Parts: sequence; C-alpha cells; structure tokens
Amino acid sequence: MNSFRSGSSRYTVGLPLLLFALLALAAPSFLATQNLVNVSGQIAALLIVSLGQMVVALVAGIDLSVGSVMSLAGCLVATQADPLWGVTLALALGLCVGLVNGLGVAVAGIHPLVMTLSTMTFLQGLAYLLLPIPGGAVPPVLGALANGNLWGVPRPLLWCAACALAVYLLLHRTRLGLHIFAVGANARSAHLNGVRAVAVVVSAYVVCSLLAVVAGIYLAARVSSGDPAMGAAFGLESVTAVALGGIQLTGGVGSILGVVTGALSLGLITNGINLLGISPFLRGTLTGLLLLAAVCAQRRKVVGL
Amino acid sequence: MSLPSSGAEALVVARGISKRFGSTAALQDVNLSGHAGSIHALTGENGAGKSTLMKLLAGVHQPDAGELHIGGRPVHLRDPAAARAAGISTVFQELTVLPNLTVAENLLLGREPTRHGLVDRAAMLTDAANVLARIGIALDPQRPCGSLSIGEQQLVEIAKGVSADASVFIFDEPTAPLNRAEVDKLEQLLRALKAQGKLVFYISHRLDEIFRFCDTVTVLKDGRWVCTEPIEALTHDRLIALMVGRSLQALFPPRDGTAPGPAALEVRELTPLPGAANARLLLRRGEIVGMGGLEGQGQREIIRALAGALPPVSCDIVRHDREGRVQPFDPRHGVEQVVRHGVGLVPEDRKLEGLYLELPIADNIRLGLLRGLGLMRRAPRERGVIEQMAQQLQLRSRDLVQPVGDLSGGNQQKVMIGRWLAAGIDTLLVEQPTRGVDVGAKAEIYGLLRGFVQRGGAVLALSSDLLELIGLCDRILMVRAGRIVGDVPAEGATEEALLALALVDGAESKQPSALEVTA
Amino acid sequence: MKAGLSSAAAPAAPRARRWAAALLALPPAYAGLAVLLMLAAVMRPQLLSAMLLPLIARQAAPLGLAVIGQSLVMRGRSIDLSSGGVIVAVSYLLTSGYFPISDAVAMVACVALGLVVGVVNGALIVKARASAMIVTLATSMILTGCVVALSQQRAPGDAPEFLRELARLRLLGIPVPVLVWLAVLLPAALLLRGTVFGRYLDATGANPQAAALSGIPHLRVIFLGHVASALISVLCGFILVGFVGKGSITLGQDLALNSLAAAILGGVNFGSGRGGMAGPAVAAFMLTFLFNFLTSLGLGEPGRLMLQGAIIAAAALAYSLNRK
Repeated sequence: MNSFRSGSSRYTVGLPLLLFALLALAAPSFLATQNLVNVSGQIAALLIVSLGQMVVALVAGIDLSVGSVMSLAGCLVATQADPLWGVTLALALGLCVGLVNGLGVAVAGIHPLVMTLSTMTFLQGLAYLLLPIPGGAVPPVLGALANGNLWGVPRPLLWCAACALAVYLLLHRTRLGLHIFAVGANARSAHLNGVRAVAVVVSAYVVCSLLAVVAGIYLAARVSSGDPAMGAAFGLESVTAVALGGIQLTGGVGSILGVVTGALSLGLITNGINLLGISPFLRGTLTGLLLLAAVCAQRRKVVGL
Repeated sequence: MSLPSSGAEALVVARGISKRFGSTAALQDVNLSGHAGSIHALTGENGAGKSTLMKLLAGVHQPDAGELHIGGRPVHLRDPAAARAAGISTVFQELTVLPNLTVAENLLLGREPTRHGLVDRAAMLTDAANVLARIGIALDPQRPCGSLSIGEQQLVEIAKGVSADASVFIFDEPTAPLNRAEVDKLEQLLRALKAQGKLVFYISHRLDEIFRFCDTVTVLKDGRWVCTEPIEALTHDRLIALMVGRSLQALFPPRDGTAPGPAALEVRELTPLPGAANARLLLRRGEIVGMGGLEGQGQREIIRALAGALPPVSCDIVRHDREGRVQPFDPRHGVEQVVRHGVGLVPEDRKLEGLYLELPIADNIRLGLLRGLGLMRRAPRERGVIEQMAQQLQLRSRDLVQPVGDLSGGNQQKVMIGRWLAAGIDTLLVEQPTRGVDVGAKAEIYGLLRGFVQRGGAVLALSSDLLELIGLCDRILMVRAGRIVGDVPAEGATEEALLALALVDGAESKQPSALEVTA
Repeated sequence: MKAGLSSAAAPAAPRARRWAAALLALPPAYAGLAVLLMLAAVMRPQLLSAMLLPLIARQAAPLGLAVIGQSLVMRGRSIDLSSGGVIVAVSYLLTSGYFPISDAVAMVACVALGLVVGVVNGALIVKARASAMIVTLATSMILTGCVVALSQQRAPGDAPEFLRELARLRLLGIPVPVLVWLAVLLPAALLLRGTVFGRYLDATGANPQAAALSGIPHLRVIFLGHVASALISVLCGFILVGFVGKGSITLGQDLALNSLAAAILGGVNFGSGRGGMAGPAVAAFMLTFLFNFLTSLGLGEPGRLMLQGAIIAAAALAYSLNRK
C-alpha cells in the first residue's frame, strides 16, 4: 500500500494502541476473552460502515445518511420472511440511495452535507414506517451467519475482513479506485486527464450505501430483530472514525489501515465507558468531543459550510 | 509574409477559427497548419490568443466557427478525452499531475493496463519505466508526484504524451518553472520528438527559446493571424516588430506634465516569498506608476504582498498619508489593516475576487462607503452620492439595481474602481486595469485613473500590455525574476526597449533540481 | 441600455409583466402557503378558524425564531444545527433543579450557556476552519449527551411558572410567543437591511474572496452570526419549555432541520438571501401549518420525517438548478 496517500501516521496508529494499554491497566475485565469478543462484535458494524464513509471522503464528500440506511436495511431483513428476498431488497435500497446521493452531489451540484442530510431524514421516516417499534424477526439463517465462530475465528471478524478485502481490491487494484484518488486530489486535473469525474463520484456514494446496508444487515442479524433507530448514531460516528484514522475530508488521502485504527479507537472508548462505569449516555458527548478534535486537526481553505 | 501551406504533409490544419468569450473576440478567423517532424512556435503578446488557440486544440473549449483537420480528416474535439483520442497531447501551464498518485499512475491515468479486470501493477511499472527510459528521464516510477519538483512534474506531463503515443504535442510556456539543466533536458526531448516525426506546437514569447528550439514560427496579434514563417527568415528584431506595433490610438489622457507630489508609499524593502528578490519602489502622489514584465516574473507577488493579500516574508514600508503624517505600514497584519491605511487592491479576476456579481450595482458601490464604520452603525443609503459616482464613472446600465454580473466587462471594472473611490482611499494597486474591457471603456478607465492621481492619489498599475503602460503611466518598472530591473519614464519609452528589459535569458535564479541529465 | 441614468425612465416592459416577474421571484414559501391555505379551506376548514390560527402561529414561534438565526448564518455561507442541543440543555437547566438557584438566575445561566456555545461554534468555524455542519452537529451531540446522562441521576421537572404563564398569555389577542417572535424579527430585519453588519453579511455570502480582498471583516461577521444564532436558540428553548410545561430530553430535536428547510423555502440559501426576513418568517408559519394539516389528515411521525427530507432535497435542487 502506498503510504504517502494513506494518511496514517504514528498518531493515528498510536491512539488505539494507547487506549488498549490504558484499558488493560485500568479495567480488570478488559482482557477477558468474552469482553474482547464483545468488543470486536460491536466494532464490526462501525468498521464496515466507516469503510464506506472513507470511500466517499476520498472524493471529498461525506455521507450522513449511512445511519438511516443501516436502520432501514436492518428493518427490511427483519420484516421479510425470505432471507434472500430481504437481502436483495436491502441491497437494491443501497444502490438507489447511493445513486440519488451521488447524482445530487455530482450532477445537481448540491452540497454533500445537505444532500445526505435530506436522504438521511427521509430514510429515517421510511424506517419508522416499515417498523414503528423495534421488533420483527430476522431469519435464523442470517442470525447464524452473524454470530459465533467459523473455523475458530469469530464471525464478526470475518465480515470485517471480507468487506475490508473488497474495499482494498476496489481502491488499490481497480481503475475506479485509482480514479477515486485522482478525483479527490483535484477533480479538474483528473477531468483534463480523461477521467469521468461524475461517474467516479456516483460510484463512491453507491459503494458507501452498499456497505452501510451490509453493516445494517449484520447488526440486525446479531440481535435477530430490527430497530428503526439502530443506526442513528453511526452517521457521525463513522465520520469521527474516518477523521481519527487520518483520512482527509478534503479528499485524495486515506487507507483501510486508517479506518481500522479509527474504528478501533472509537470502539475501545465505548467499551471503556462501559467497563469503567461511566454513564453510557455520555457516549454521544465523547464522540462529539472526538469529532471536534478530529475535524479541527484537518486543514481547510474554505470557511463555513 | 507567407500564407500557411495546406500541403499533403500538413498534420494539423486549422481554418477560419473564431472564438468569443462574452463580448471579447479571443480569436478571429485564424488559420494554422503544422507539419509532422516540426517544432512550431506559436507566439505573440499577452492577449494575442495563443492560449485560446491551444485550448481549442486541447479540447478544453470548442470553436465558434472554423474547422480543424488532423491527419487530413476533420475532427470535433468535444472534450479533453476526445483530443487525447485524436492523438493530441497537451502540457498545460497549470500542471495536471496529481500529487497523490505515483509517476507511473499519472503516466497511465485513464489508460491503465488490466489483467482479469484488475489493474496490472507490474505492467504499469514496466510501461512507465520504458517510457521514462525512452525519453531519458531518470525518475523512479513509484515516486509520488507530490514529492517531485515542478520541473520534474513538468517532465512527467511530457512523458504522459509520449506514453500515449500522441502525434501532436502542445507545450504552453514549458520552461517557466525549469532551471538550466531541466531546460537542456527539454531541448533533448524536443529534438527526439521531432526526429520521431511528431509535431510540436511550442507556445512561448521567450524569443531566445524560439530561436533555439523551433523551425517555424506563427505570430498572432489581437486574436488574428499575422504570419507563419520558417525560423531562418526571421531575426530577433523582426519578430518583435511583428508581435507589437499597433498604432497608438488616442486612448490615453494626456500627462499634464506637472511634477509628482510627495511620497505616498515608500517601499524600502519587500521580500514577497522565501527566496525571492528584494523589491524596492516608491509611489508618489499625482503619479501613475506602471509595472510590467513577462508572466510569472513576480509582479503579482509584489502587488499582492503590498495589498496584504500575500503576507510577505519581510518588509520595511513607510506610508505617508494625505496630511503628510508618516506611519509604519505592515501588510503582514492583513488586508483589513492595509485598507484602513487607505490602500486598495483592484484584483485581476474581477468576477472571482473583486465584485459581488449577484448584488446590485448600488450595493457594490455602497460597500466602499462603509469603510471605517462600526458594524452596528446604520449603513448610509446615500443614494445621491452613489448616483453621482455612477455619473462620474460614466456607467452604462439600465439602472442601479441591476446585478453587477449583468454588466459588460468595462462597466464591471468601473464599478470596482468606483467602490474604492467611494471608500476614499488614496492609493490604488491595480492588477490589469483593462483586462477584458472594450476600447471605449478602456479610455474612460484611463481617464478615471488619471483624474484620481490629479486629485492627489497614487496608482501602481500592473499590466501585461506594454502599450497600455507607455500610454497611461508616468513611470514604468520592469520586473524580471522578482527583481525590478528598470525604472523608465514612460514618455519616450518604446515597446522594443521594454520587451528587451523583460526578456529572460536563462533562469539563473532557480535552484537546480535533483534530476539527472542522462545522455 | 441607455448611457448614464434616467431617474424617470419609461418602464422597459409593460406593468403587468413586471408584476408577474416580481411574483415569480418570490420565495416558494408564499406560493406554498397560498396553496396550503386553499387546500385547508376545502379539506379542513376548522384549521382556518379564528380559534386555531393564532394557536398555529404560537406553535410556529420557536421555528420562526430559529429560522432568523439560521438565516443570519446561512447568508454567510455557514450553517447552525446546534439548536437541538442548546434547547435540551436549556430545558434541563430550567427544570431539573440540579442547582439550588432561582428561576431568574437559571435563565441568566441559560443565556450564558448560549453565549458559550455560540462562541465555541463561531471560533471553531472561523479560526480552525472546521466544517460548520460538523461542528454544530457535534456541539449538539455533546450537549445532548451531557443532559441525557445527568437526567439519569435527576430527571427534568416542571417548567418555571413564569414561562408557563407567558406561553399561555395573550396581549391584545396575540399570543405572547408570537410577540416575542416579532420582537426579534423586526430588529433582525432592520439589522440586515440597514446596518453595516447586514451589508457586510450580504457581501461575505455573495463572494467571500472579494470580501476578504476588499478589507471587509468577514470572519467577524460569520462569528457574530453564530453567537446570535445560539442566543436565539436559548430563546426558543424558553418558549418551548413554557409550551410543554416541563423539561424533556426530546424537546426541539427537529428544530434544526426544520429551520434549514424553512430558510431555503423562504428564499435564503448558502451565501444569498432574497426574501429578506419576511420570506423565512412566512416559511416558518407555512411549515407549521403544513405539519398540522397533515397531522389532521392522519400523518404520523414517519410521514413527517419523510416530508422534511423531501422538502430539503427539493429546495436545494431548485436552488441548484436556478443557478445554472
């Protein structure tokens, strides 16, 4: 992997390691196998959705609707008796949302924050329409896929690995991936070099929504039910994870390592809150503070939106 | 003067090309033909249309009229991708190399080799290495382009075209960022391309380079074709004469011959950027001082540094206000401070940096009246003052509530100046006073500036039009490599003399790069 | 185009056409309200009764206030989505009795809190150049998180009597919250049209680079806009707490997004504003009426959210297409 456009540094890698060490010292139950398994299960969803957020960040965009997509995808599989149909429907949803977001940003010229904020709200309403209160039943086939071990490895880890591998192949082994980095660095230069910037940006948003769908299905399968508010926090949390991982929100710089370190940092903090007995409701506060710190550390020329 | 030949060997033929931008005619009925195995210079003064013609060939713009033939077949270059497909490779002045991609990735962008649908990185590296070796550039294909010097990035741009097996190359002012060794390398490349039967269009107004590299020269002036000649038929002086020499129309208000007044801005020392030369100059009241030179020689940096828009590395400037009081003046404190001292910048790009296009004319001008007022103070409506100002500016508009964006270039320029006049500043720093302005408005703007200094103001005007500098200003400073190399009275100055001062004779002031020159 | 100016110029187009052009240039809120009122007259005439209309206006007051603050920052190409967090914090400070202070002191503390939030938002956006949407969403998250955590220990209680009274009171038949709305709206309109600040705000939004190069204090203008917006959010909090009668951790959660929608519908957009302050005010009333209308038709929470999202997207799209 080319390190000059990965964005990772000793700070981004050091943070999760530091947190790991701190928690190991401060919380006696941290290193217990059960806890570590729990943590990895919780981080998995964040990691998967943050991979998508990174792809969009690479083209200098942002996608706040990932949380609602996750919730809606989870509700879809929880309300469809046929798992295959539920998954297909959810993936189709991801495709549509990605297209709408991407076209709105790249063709209509709507600011990505405004565009994805509007889809986020719309889809949240749709989720409540589909499943007013947490419930439904996820087909056991999916539940089995999300829990337990396969060949000794916890299944959540396998989901993460599969998604990470897919994104790795996309970014580093396909033309589209190279073009994504190019458009993120300078869309006009890329255009002058014959790259179709619009198609690249739309593809990035589609990939992001699809990954959000996967994360949503995973989460719903884990608890075997759907929850229309399940993904609410993941929008800003995925942006935080991405920013903590050294990915520049202005585009062109980022890597999977960054997403992993960022998601790990955030996940460890959440776990730490639980173990140390701090009010779990402060999770939002801590995420907010981290997000502020992370975006202030990035350099921008424009003031305002 | 000979007409362009449309012989069977002409690789690129352009006939009757015209292009307008808004109300300005950038190109009018231009003909051009270039042959394979030739390095063909395209030259003329600033604004002659060379850049526009090149952009048409590069597919960035489309001609309003005329036709283009490549290899004998007519083509329509809809976008840069189409131009590449037609075998035209352009090295733009603004480099389009992407800093976060490696040399190999940049070289093959858009044409990446694939295997089973995935990018074949090994093939990419080999292809890139081959191309680099073929041209003789010793660059590691895996280096990120962001770590290369500008000269090295330039060479990558050129290599892109070679790698794409283009038959036509366009170079726009390629040597501007290069040092001596890199220029030699460029010469080798050009000769290699010529030997391979390629056609190279070389856009420049550096005469020594044209005589060194090129075998044919096409001269443009004011958007029209002047002539196309083989280099043997030309001399330095003859070429300059072809480039300049419009009749000095009665555009300029007469200089009144009075001696200039007291100093307004005394620049004892000014270093705009790290490593740049020290600029010293003096602006006096009652005087219009011009600043000229080839593009990118540092004039813009000097003016922006004075205006506070580009904080200089170091400066020692003294300001003398209208009452004769002396104040220290430090543009590093920012534009707001500079404006408070009574110095205003009229930027070159009025649409992007100067005007509020959606706001009405009256609002644009009124903003000048607000200078120095506290935020919570009532904004004066001052309809009368604004109407008076519009009269003084000889503004041509339907009314004053029209958005400024609807006005012609000349009227827009007047509004920008009018805003500063309304603000009561006494020193104007003007970039390109009449860019994109028609002849009639030009005369009026010159009148405005002359009237301004006659009432006790001082003006520093940066212009790439030598005639304008000679006609408008009292004194002309020529800038070369960031240094002020001449302080010439405008009365009696000639374009030839000024151009001679401006011509660069090899960039001695540049740092050598890490690039090796291989045989 | 004629040379010079003519003050008594003959109209370039017939009068009727100019009137039509002026009407079309009005922000969508006016047309939207007209259509809505007509539909209501047919389908739910009771909404137009002399009893309900003032109540709807009163209900619209917090949104009307929020959209004033949002207009101020949006005209400068920024945005403020922190009102939800501020309102929840205000509601907790006033009702939980966490600190043994009187209601009046608590209200002063709320104003101080608003000031702090506004300064933090403004400073991060102007100095650190962080994205305004992310910063204000983050501050909202921080405040909400703190309040929710504190609520576990000590739940929010009843609203101060003073505020509950004010919410119910009417002066000359007009509900007090509406009067408060007008009391902020009119000075805000004057500020925008008549002061140096207003002119600078227009310039900063129209072309930030030109504003910077001509010496306008554009950063200060954006900063002050954020401080004002946060203080207005505090005011919204006071009114909402008075309405509901007690503290609540879900108070005013949709105000931020609604203020964005209302601003765009009222003709304000990032960097520009055509409806003055009247357009957004009409839009605030229109949106409140719309939600009441749809609720009376059976629309629930899901439908409301979907509508909100669709309105924001449609308005942003219309603005984008208009510019091309």
